[in-house]
Amino acid sequence: MSRSQKTCAICESGVRVVDFKDERLLSRFLTERGKILPSRLSGTCARHQRQLSTAIKRARQVALLPYIKGFNG
Amino acid sequence: MLRRYEAVYIFDSALEEPAITEKLGRFHALLPQPGDAPIEANHWGKRTLAYPVAGRETGYYVVTRFQASGEMLPEFERALKLDEGLLRHLIVLDEGAQMAPTPSAKDAEEDDS
Repeated sequence: MSRSQKTCAICESGVRVVDFKDERLLSRFLTERGKILPSRLSGTCARHQRQLSTAIKRARQVALLPYIKGFNG
Repeated sequence: MLRRYEAVYIFDSALEEPAITEKLGRFHALLPQPGDAPIEANHWGKRTLAYPVAGRETGYYVVTRFQASGEMLPEFERALKLDEGLLRHLIVLDEGAQMAPTPSAKDAEEDDS
């Protein structure tokens, strides 16, 4: 049995640089709780995973994405 | 050496638009541009914050792009930190991404401007 082939969604969409202001794209790579999805699960290539993690962290700093989703305390 | 930077400002949403433009003008006076070109600014307007910042649920977002040398930035950031109407800011190297907002459905209906 071979593992199913996953392709990088960002390579396929033709995005040149991952923009930290594009919260809609970034939110696709978050878990339900707002953690960064590992590339093992999302299938992103190494280069885009690096760009994504930086972008998500920046988006969190400017309150475009939450640090934790569903936390009301 | 001059480099291109991108800055995101989150202003207190209680501020009026002229007040925000005036503040931006004051900030940008600290950053002389080569050839006196105006600094590109894209006003996203009022948006819901992903989490409360300084007790506020909404903020007024502005994205700008400018050229500056590294030595100018600490002084510039100091001025930003002293401003009480500015909730948060982020300055990063410009990687050529677009400046326009990507509207999310929940913000669109709250946007009254």
